[in-house]
Amino acid sequence: MASAANTNLNAVRETMDVLLEISRLLNTGLDMESLSICVRLCEQGINPEALSAVIKELRKATETLKASENCTN
Amino acid sequence: NSSITELLGVLCDRSLTGVSWKRRALGGVSRESFRRALKKCAYGALLSKLFQDGTKGSATGLSATATTPPRNKVLMICFDLRVAGCREEAERLEEQLERLPEGASSGLREVDAVLELLVHLAGSAPPPPTSF
Repeated sequence: MASAANTNLNAVRETMDVLLEISRLLNTGLDMESLSICVRLCEQGINPEALSAVIKELRKATETLKASENCTN
Repeated sequence: NSSITELLGVLCDRSLTGVSWKRRALGGVSRESFRRALKKCAYGALLSKLFQDGTKGSATGLSATATTPPRNKVLMICFDLRVAGCREEAERLEEQLERLPEGASSGLREVDAVLELLVHLAGSAPPPPTSF
């Protein structure tokens, strides 16, 4: 039982490493933590295209906030 | 086993890293109010995309790109990279795609959905700084 769980954990780890490398090569801007959250959201049934729109919107909003900080400095 | 709302909350928190709040609080923008605004923005994007998909499906049917498997989409990106003269990047991407386990052997339930997400986010980050 424990060995099956270990095998699955190793498989997940290996898959996550490959996904992170693909993500880096595609220049998606996701780090391991964000990628893990996205994996869990996809597993909850969130549409990947909709999730990509969410990530882009969040980036836009925080970039605007950071830009306003630069203007006031 | 977190819920969608919890995970979206964490995603919003992640995008707030690196923002300084000391001076912002004086201007009336608190971390909490901006976090609320971000969550609203996230749900807005999520729902509008889902509603768009609903109308697209009923009016025109599925487009060719919607039915292309994500692995093939990555191969198409590899082709584009080669055409653009980025042969090394294309080869590395193909190599990683071959290493990516399929289905249950990946240990994940939705590995293709994650790959689809990466395709949609491709090139969305600023390019890495070049070193001299």
